[in-house]
Amino acid sequence: MGNIYHNKTAQWIVYAVFFAILAVIPIKIDDSFLLNQLATYGVYGMLALSISLCWGFGGILNLGQGIAFGLGAYGMAMTMQMQSQDASNPIPPFMLNNSLDHLPLLWQPFQNTTAGLILSVAVPTLFCAVFGGIMFRARVSGPFFAIMTLAMLSAFYTIIIDRQPYTGGVNGLTPPSAFQFAGVEVDPYSPTAYWVVFCFLMGATVVAKLITQSSFGLVTQAIRDDAERVRFLGYSVAGYETVIYTVAGLIAAIAGCCWVMLVQYVSPAQLDVSFSLSMVIWAAIGGRHSLLGSIFGAFIIQGAQSYLGDTFLATWLLILGGFFIIVVRFLPNGLASLLESGLGLLAAKRRSSSAAVERNGDANPMPAE
Amino acid sequence: MAGLLEIHNLSKSFDATKVINDFSLEVVEGTLCCLVGPNGAGKTTTLDLITGRIKPTSGKIIFAGEDITAKHEHVIARAGIGRKFQVPAVLRDLTVRQNLEVSYSRQTNPFWNLFKFRNAGLKEKLDEIATLAGLKDRLGERAGILSHGETQWLEIGMVLMQEPRLLLMDEPIAGMTEGEIEKTARIFKDLRKTATLIVVEHDMGFVREIADVVTVMHMGSLLAQGTIKQVESDPRVRDVYLGEQEAA
Repeated sequence: MGNIYHNKTAQWIVYAVFFAILAVIPIKIDDSFLLNQLATYGVYGMLALSISLCWGFGGILNLGQGIAFGLGAYGMAMTMQMQSQDASNPIPPFMLNNSLDHLPLLWQPFQNTTAGLILSVAVPTLFCAVFGGIMFRARVSGPFFAIMTLAMLSAFYTIIIDRQPYTGGVNGLTPPSAFQFAGVEVDPYSPTAYWVVFCFLMGATVVAKLITQSSFGLVTQAIRDDAERVRFLGYSVAGYETVIYTVAGLIAAIAGCCWVMLVQYVSPAQLDVSFSLSMVIWAAIGGRHSLLGSIFGAFIIQGAQSYLGDTFLATWLLILGGFFIIVVRFLPNGLASLLESGLGLLAAKRRSSSAAVERNGDANPMPAE
Repeated sequence: MAGLLEIHNLSKSFDATKVINDFSLEVVEGTLCCLVGPNGAGKTTTLDLITGRIKPTSGKIIFAGEDITAKHEHVIARAGIGRKFQVPAVLRDLTVRQNLEVSYSRQTNPFWNLFKFRNAGLKEKLDEIATLAGLKDRLGERAGILSHGETQWLEIGMVLMQEPRLLLMDEPIAGMTEGEIEKTARIFKDLRKTATLIVVEHDMGFVREIADVVTVMHMGSLLAQGTIKQVESDPRVRDVYLGEQEAA
């Protein structure tokens, strides 16, 4: 009997229970403000999930996950902004303030909601595929790749602030009305919005879990362990790294879309370095080797920030930092590893007691002889 | 029979130092070739060049009629060359079973592998290799906790899981007991039926036992080649290598 933590069936059961609990929430809660807040945690959960997939399973530390998230968010905000414009008034107000007299080419596809949604997800994903492809083929890895993602993130951040007539600059975009899809308005404070996020979070988690259990997942874990060795087994390390990095980017892009749907707002802050770092911290505290652990990490850190952050104000960052140091020092694999070693101890105990029973069982027939 | 692996006038320099100097070698399919020579003769570097870990300065490497010179490591591995490293390189964080599973690399395309959850033929192969390597009871263990001898066996097992046409074994018996060395010799001789082997080894007793052809390298060049008897009676070989070993 091994550690039940590593039992696939047990893992799927825990996943099912986890999502069942999340599904009960909108039924039990009618505080629409709270529901909206919990839905944003779902978005953070998706981000932590994408970090866990990329870093925990693929071994690629990505400090620039805000790129995919931010590009997705901007795409969604542009789509929603254009939903509020019509033929009589085709240009968003902030452009007029910046003395643009026609809709820029960049914005034109977003006049169509479907095209806008597709672009919101496709552009960041494509970016990850190209950027990752170039980096991984050149065998940029470890801290060097992390630094490259950080540099890329800062570049996007600067461009968005600098191109104010096209991006809204520091102010960002604030679409005036809720997202409409197929004639239905998705009120961000409604259970519908919660369900949308719930479905995407669950879908992404199930897909990510299946990926880690596939042959692909095994190869990426081998690459995390020793990329050099894996090459001599016939696997193209760059190919695998690019795919896992891109899948993580896709999840983050979807999270970006969901986030803007919930808050009707996007600004360069979503591409700020500190936000991308917090995603890594969520995964690190929750346990980057566990998808569910990472999601949970995002929930507790963001939850604590919302509630304790008001109480402690500036001290909150100190508390968070201290907590992070403690986890890294004593639980390098995060809170999930606490569960893993706990269940491991339990299994070992059971094993030794059943071994003792067997020994006794062996000993018993002896006197009868 | 044509050579499965042909190395033509291979040279490799690091800055001004010539590590491999105009080295040529032909390995016939279904034979076991032992590569011997004093430390620094360039044996491991030759393996590095064959497997694409480093690129040659000049020269050509032909495998099964295909030019594999300076190709990427994974391309060469896919062509059918498997390698065991001098310092055993296993995936330490994965279990023994996962190490063997990932080595069964028939499908290497990342997209196909995304949708692959069961590997046809894997179970039989894994059972066979695990039994052969004596790791049947250790499949669930993390590879990092294995003893040195077990790690050697695991890596040999990994190379066998790859089912390569050409196996490169860099000091496979280092750290093994007498009994294990005998077993290794038996396995290698068996493998010759289906594959070709190049073994780098210092233990002349082991070389005597298994080699069809012995190639002696010295200062990055070919010093002598032939059966073990021919090589052992070669005065130059005695001079630079064997004499030195007997003295030790």
